[in-house]
Amino acid sequence: MSDKLTALVIDDERQIRKLLRIILEEQNYRVLEAETGRQGLADVAQRKPDVVLLDLGLPDMDGLTALKRLREWSHVPALILSVREGPEDKVAALDAGADDYVTKPFESAELLARLRAIQRRGATTSEEPYFQTGHLAVDFNSHLVTMGGREVRLTATEYALLRVLALNAGKVVTHQHLLREVWGPNAADQSQYLRVYMNHLRKKIEIPQAKQKLLKTESGIGYRLALLEDKSP
Amino acid sequence: MQSTPPLKEFVFGGLSILVATGVAWLLQPFTAYQTVALLYLLLVVAVGLKLSRGPVLTVAATSVVFWNFFFVPPHYTFYIEKLHDGILFATFFVVALAMGHLTTRLRRSELAERQKERRTAALYELAHQAAFASDINLGLQAAVGLIDSIFSVRAALLLRRPDHTLSDKPHSSSSLVLSDKETSVAAWVFSRCTPAGKFTDTLPQSDAMHLPLRGRTSVMGVLSVAPPADRSFDLTDKDLLEAFAVLIGLILEKDHIVQAFKRAEIIEASEQLRRTLLESVSHELKTPLAAVQAGIEALSRQVGGEDLKQRTLAEVQLAVRRLHRVINNLLDMTRIESGVVQPRLDWCDVGELIQEAVDLSGEILGEHHIALHLDPALPMVKLDQALMEQCLCNLILNAASWSPPDTEITLDARLKENQLILSVQDEGQGIPETEIHRIFDTFYRGSKSKPGGTGLGLSIVDGFVRAHGGQVRAANRQPHGAEFVITIPVETLPANVMEELT
Repeated sequence: MSDKLTALVIDDERQIRKLLRIILEEQNYRVLEAETGRQGLADVAQRKPDVVLLDLGLPDMDGLTALKRLREWSHVPALILSVREGPEDKVAALDAGADDYVTKPFESAELLARLRAIQRRGATTSEEPYFQTGHLAVDFNSHLVTMGGREVRLTATEYALLRVLALNAGKVVTHQHLLREVWGPNAADQSQYLRVYMNHLRKKIEIPQAKQKLLKTESGIGYRLALLEDKSP
Repeated sequence: MQSTPPLKEFVFGGLSILVATGVAWLLQPFTAYQTVALLYLLLVVAVGLKLSRGPVLTVAATSVVFWNFFFVPPHYTFYIEKLHDGILFATFFVVALAMGHLTTRLRRSELAERQKERRTAALYELAHQAAFASDINLGLQAAVGLIDSIFSVRAALLLRRPDHTLSDKPHSSSSLVLSDKETSVAAWVFSRCTPAGKFTDTLPQSDAMHLPLRGRTSVMGVLSVAPPADRSFDLTDKDLLEAFAVLIGLILEKDHIVQAFKRAEIIEASEQLRRTLLESVSHELKTPLAAVQAGIEALSRQVGGEDLKQRTLAEVQLAVRRLHRVINNLLDMTRIESGVVQPRLDWCDVGELIQEAVDLSGEILGEHHIALHLDPALPMVKLDQALMEQCLCNLILNAASWSPPDTEITLDARLKENQLILSVQDEGQGIPETEIHRIFDTFYRGSKSKPGGTGLGLSIVDGFVRAHGGQVRAANRQPHGAEFVITIPVETLPANVMEELT
């Protein structure tokens, strides 16, 4: 039992909780359910789940409020699961400390991939020096970036951008987050930098004919570096 | 208007006799006294054309007496010596009186004629100014102005409210302020549909006269007029005022009916829209739902082999995506119609925008080929990428559903004087000329539409583009196919900044 991961589902819709239980238990999760924000927060404190799936429309409090309270004392990976699809809702949730955001209706494969991605960071507190997705590999120690074994020359800024995305691989990283990390706290409204360098980075690490792209655009929100299994270009 | 002739007329009559007598006296040496009688008759006729009946008859009688006294021998007596003078005197007397009478009658009928004409002119003026005014309020203003000037009174209009009670606030065109007492008289007039107040039999001690504004079927309000203290209304005035009231009543009723008709038309149109919406939405929601249900039932019966199971699952998945799309469309349209769409402008790489739109529509595209024509020198522009992406997706989807498989859909992006121009072209049948102006209407679906689709996709494009301050146009291409062009004003990143960055 101890090798099973525990997922806490905080959602007032019984049907969603039931379906999530089926999907998650099949993936060897232990599933806890909470109907309200209050109960959910208490469950996080007492039962220490490994991951939280949080709905934004809760009967007793707004999901965002619950998330902010949770973030005051816990770093548990949290995935927002909501019907709200506006970019502003997503950015607000990510800014409030959500690790990623999935809109309902969702595809279960997508949901599980996101769950794995947000736990990946949770599990690796000490950064691994090496990262790989698809044909792309990054060595954080030597700053060496390779595509299918061949070195790719990146400028310092391009490397910094790729590094932030790789450290958060599989998760959406907001424009603001990228700008702060790469250009510093004063660059938050200089989104044109980001567009230009993302464009460059794309040209260097993306294979034009590839079925699956590495760098995914989340319009109005940010970018995501996909976690791909297939290593052949 | 002239029940008692003023003293002025008598004085004028008297003076004219004196003048005529003087002239006759001077002429006497050269003519016979019989001729003088004719001179006096001429005077009576002349006076008859000018003065009213009383003074004219007085002048006639006096001139006969003067003639007798001054000119008929023996002079300076009322005595008549000869028989033929007596006959002449009697004839003169009768003719003078008759002439006086006839000329005044003639004059009076002429006056009446003139008054009638004035009244007709006033009514015509009212009809012209008030009935044909573009706005009922302007019309009423003209009517009150006309009443003010014709009758030299102040007037107020109290109109019927939508709940069929009389308003207690005079219409804005009114020149008269009504006291509470007068307002209550007006309310009485409204409820009884009969005149009251000053110069009437009911409540004559009031300050104003109140006339109901009678339409064909109901009372539309009350006209109240307050004359100055020294002014009184005769029958003609009252008649004319009543005619005015009737005309205003008819004008108000006409306006009321026109408004009601317009409202009915709007209700009819929205009713039609509601029916279309219900039909379209229920069809669009229930069709995929039916597919999901049928698919699940087939799967639960576990009929057929693995291949059939996979095909069923694919259908269910397709149906779910379609359902999702319809719901998103409805939500977007609701956002657009309630005016809450606020573009979040941010720098955008147009290439990334188009690529993203193409990737997103990839799963729906099926067997169409996409060709991208991107100006490589395109600078970065400020727009809401998520909204624009959806516009392009909708246009690509639209192009794909209107053109045969294996044809090309071309996307084109360029910048012209700070306007970003995005176009989507297909090689389909094009748009019938009769429908081209309607295709962006909410829920409008082309006459040759394939089943499926809510008639919302293009309206959403229109809504989002408008939110950006731009516009979307549709046109046909030669030799065939349709083109949709989005034009939005954008801020661009200056070239030197771009160079600095690269």
